[in-house]
Amino acid sequence: MLALLQILLSGLVTGSLYGLLALGIVLIYRTTGVLNFAYGALAATVTCFLYVLLTGPHLPFWQALLLSLLFALLLGAVVERGFARPLLAAPILTKAIATLALALVLQTVVQALWPQLTSPVHFPTPFEGQALRLGGLYLSLADGLALLTTALLLGLLQLFLQRTRLGIAMRATADSLEAARLMGIPVGLIFLFAWMLASLLAAIAGVLIAARQTVIDVQFMDPVLLLAFIGAVLGGLDRLAGAVVGGLVVGLADNVLALLLAGHSLGTLDLGDPGIRQTLIFAGFVLLLLLRPRGLFGGAALRRV
Amino acid sequence: MKRHILALGNSRSSSPASPGSVLGAESGSAFAAAAGSDWRWLAGLVLLLLTLSGLPFLFEALFGDGADFQLHRVTLILILALAALAQNLLTGYAAQPSLGNAAFFGISAYLLAWLSSDLQQPYWLAVLVALVACALLGLLVGGPALSVSGAYLAIATLGLVVLTGSLLTLWDTSAGRQSYELTALPEVLGDDRSLYYCVLAVVVLIFVGAFHLLRSRVGRAWIALRDSEVAAAACGVALTRYKLLAFVVSAVLTGLAGVLYATWGTTATASMSSVEQTIAFLTMIVVGGPGSLLGSLLGALFVGLVPLLLGELPDPLALGPLQLPIAMLTTGIYGVLLLLALIFFPGGLSAIFARRPFVHASEEGESYGP
Amino acid sequence: MDHEAQATSPQTGQARNVLLEVRGLNVRFGGLLAVAGLDLDIVEGEILALVGPNGAGKTTVLNCISGFVRPAAGSIRFAGRDLLALGPERRAALGIGRTFQNGQLFASLTVLENLLIGRHAHLRAGLFQGLLPFGPAKREDAQARQRAREILAWLGLEPYANRVVATLPAGLQKLVGVARALAGEPRLLLLDEPAAGVPMREVTVLVEHLRRWCTDLGLTLLLIEHNMHVVQAVAQRVCVLNYGRKLTEGEPTTVLREPAVLEAYLGREEEASPLLEQEVSDHAAR
Repeated sequence: MLALLQILLSGLVTGSLYGLLALGIVLIYRTTGVLNFAYGALAATVTCFLYVLLTGPHLPFWQALLLSLLFALLLGAVVERGFARPLLAAPILTKAIATLALALVLQTVVQALWPQLTSPVHFPTPFEGQALRLGGLYLSLADGLALLTTALLLGLLQLFLQRTRLGIAMRATADSLEAARLMGIPVGLIFLFAWMLASLLAAIAGVLIAARQTVIDVQFMDPVLLLAFIGAVLGGLDRLAGAVVGGLVVGLADNVLALLLAGHSLGTLDLGDPGIRQTLIFAGFVLLLLLRPRGLFGGAALRRV
Repeated sequence: MKRHILALGNSRSSSPASPGSVLGAESGSAFAAAAGSDWRWLAGLVLLLLTLSGLPFLFEALFGDGADFQLHRVTLILILALAALAQNLLTGYAAQPSLGNAAFFGISAYLLAWLSSDLQQPYWLAVLVALVACALLGLLVGGPALSVSGAYLAIATLGLVVLTGSLLTLWDTSAGRQSYELTALPEVLGDDRSLYYCVLAVVVLIFVGAFHLLRSRVGRAWIALRDSEVAAAACGVALTRYKLLAFVVSAVLTGLAGVLYATWGTTATASMSSVEQTIAFLTMIVVGGPGSLLGSLLGALFVGLVPLLLGELPDPLALGPLQLPIAMLTTGIYGVLLLLALIFFPGGLSAIFARRPFVHASEEGESYGP
Repeated sequence: MDHEAQATSPQTGQARNVLLEVRGLNVRFGGLLAVAGLDLDIVEGEILALVGPNGAGKTTVLNCISGFVRPAAGSIRFAGRDLLALGPERRAALGIGRTFQNGQLFASLTVLENLLIGRHAHLRAGLFQGLLPFGPAKREDAQARQRAREILAWLGLEPYANRVVATLPAGLQKLVGVARALAGEPRLLLLDEPAAGVPMREVTVLVEHLRRWCTDLGLTLLLIEHNMHVVQAVAQRVCVLNYGRKLTEGEPTTVLREPAVLEAYLGREEEASPLLEQEVSDHAAR
């Protein structure tokens, strides 16, 4: 029983990290219509930057983190101006391909600047080795922080979008670019802001994942990203809370499957293999999407004539 | 009244991509080549064909002993062009943002390997079975895909690719192999030069067929549902039927490309059904030109040739005081080139060659009727 | 009012050939009843105008007839066949053509190709015939091109046959939309605001066209139109909708002067100018 709870807790943590990533994916998709496949690379870039600050000049962790988050904002702004803006009018798949190209560029830049990150390195954090005990359950400090941060950020983001002028302007832009323009909303600034915000979220998710794994390299976000995308799509691609729930579903499924499959085998096939898990998750995802074409919570699409 | 018209004009110019389009296609460039008798196009085409059929001899003169190796590389580009055409028919013409083609790419290659190597069936029979299987799978994927649209379809089909890739990997690991070797190839396809000619013949035949298909009732229906699904239905186009047809045709063509690819490399690998492969397919049509036959060729050229050219750069590359290991940089340079192509040729490289739409001389202001 | 319509329509139905018969049509969008209990008969060869203020449900009625909106209740029969079981493409094949308020043209194609798609239902070629550079597909295509050129010539659009539609001015695009619908050789043509966005001086040309189509082609027309000059000039009958209900139906001159119709258009302040004033239709078109 306790083992199951422990697995569920661990699934919750994994899921909240997927959810945090999905949050940023949905934010960008909703406001600027970009399926952002560079999201993982953005997160990895900032995390690598943090790693360099920690290991190079040996800055204190929190100071380095603050600098990294500022760097994330800057990176978001640069990406929006230099890359998203020129492609604003492009069709959705063109933009998606462009984000993939961007990911390649970012990874290469990181590799060229900090060659030590081409192979896995240890990512030092002050939370390492510390843990909380809740009854019989074990929760590492990094995991606890991940849960807390996701919940906090989701809450803040909802408040921001519902209550502040800027948030409402963002939602208006997401609903209709033309209408927002006509209302005098500075659409360009909104896009800039959305990318900066998403980049910040990516950075936070990246650092949390790095703290959890304790080992990173330049591509450490790649396997996570596709699962985060699945979470975002399951959540419906158009609602923030849905993204987090979708991420949680994927994370829980991942951990529960790991528990169920561990130690079993089918003929020569080791079912505990992560490949099998991934196969099952993707199979489930494709099936779910066939049953509910617009995600778990999505309504029917209205066709306008 | 006048203001009203102006407003209409504005709203048109501010939305460059047509409403139903996922890729915003080049203005009927498939048709542009056909409208009237443009001798320059014809001359270019003849020249291209002559060059391609004379290429083995040209390479022999250029590279000497390395000729067959170089020819082998060109064959790959031709095979890629086929896969690009498949993706373009589905996405650039029929406007279905499906990323699932890499699944058929891998499946057909594995079926070929399994049937010809393990079950020892004749090669040609194996190819036929693989293609039929792709058609059926295309129908199987296309059917449900009709209820999923836009970004959801894209991610769902991408999921399908990853799923296929991991299933193929599982097959490989459980059979205790790294990749699936093709051991029983017909003699004709074993030789680099005859393989080149076979692939060239297939590609030319299929591009000619596609050219005519796109100008026929079926191709027009695809373009119609891209430009406006509603109007297409009102004109009598059965949307479901034509979308399914696009899925099936695309699956079969991708399957053919997969079979040829496996033959070319004498092996089938699980990475044929991977996110990277999907990216390559998409890159080809986005860079080359969605909704353009020429674009499929140019896209294949970009994806097939640019990494090769980058491989020819001196290693390490000296940039001022920096000595950069080139192997690390090629992906980045490729990414930058890709970004530049997308930003500066939003309609694809084929837009460079697209002829200006016919403009009637005495046509200026608003006019209505004669 | 409803009673009146009920009384006359069966009569005319017996006397002349009713092409389209709408009975008890109800359309719901969420909680909103967009069309409520509409009965409508269109007699073969007539021109009927559907008018009413914005949001009255006119386009919704058209969408029900061409199959884009599924009504909650009611029946639609076309030339004796029940339409509701059929998809839009089957209805088009039966001979219902239409244009759209916002054009919905195939913008990346030429005018001629737009018309060829308009003839889609008349052609047969499938995948395998289409692949060939010769054979039946090319033959039927050549015939379709010939027919399309005739229609273009007839509408004075021939100089633009090979122009990509997106490059044409809005007024011409409007006409291409009509040409595309005509290319399908429909028995019933549904026109959604054919005069909207067309300069005043050319509206008269349009009116001439509309009349000619009906007499020359034996076409039956159902048009939505805000421009009351056009309605007055071409329609033999007018049906006024308001909040999804039929307000009244009859001769244009009498119907458009009815107080209830004026009120629907202008609101309660009765002092306003008669409906035939241009400002009103312009206002309504917004």
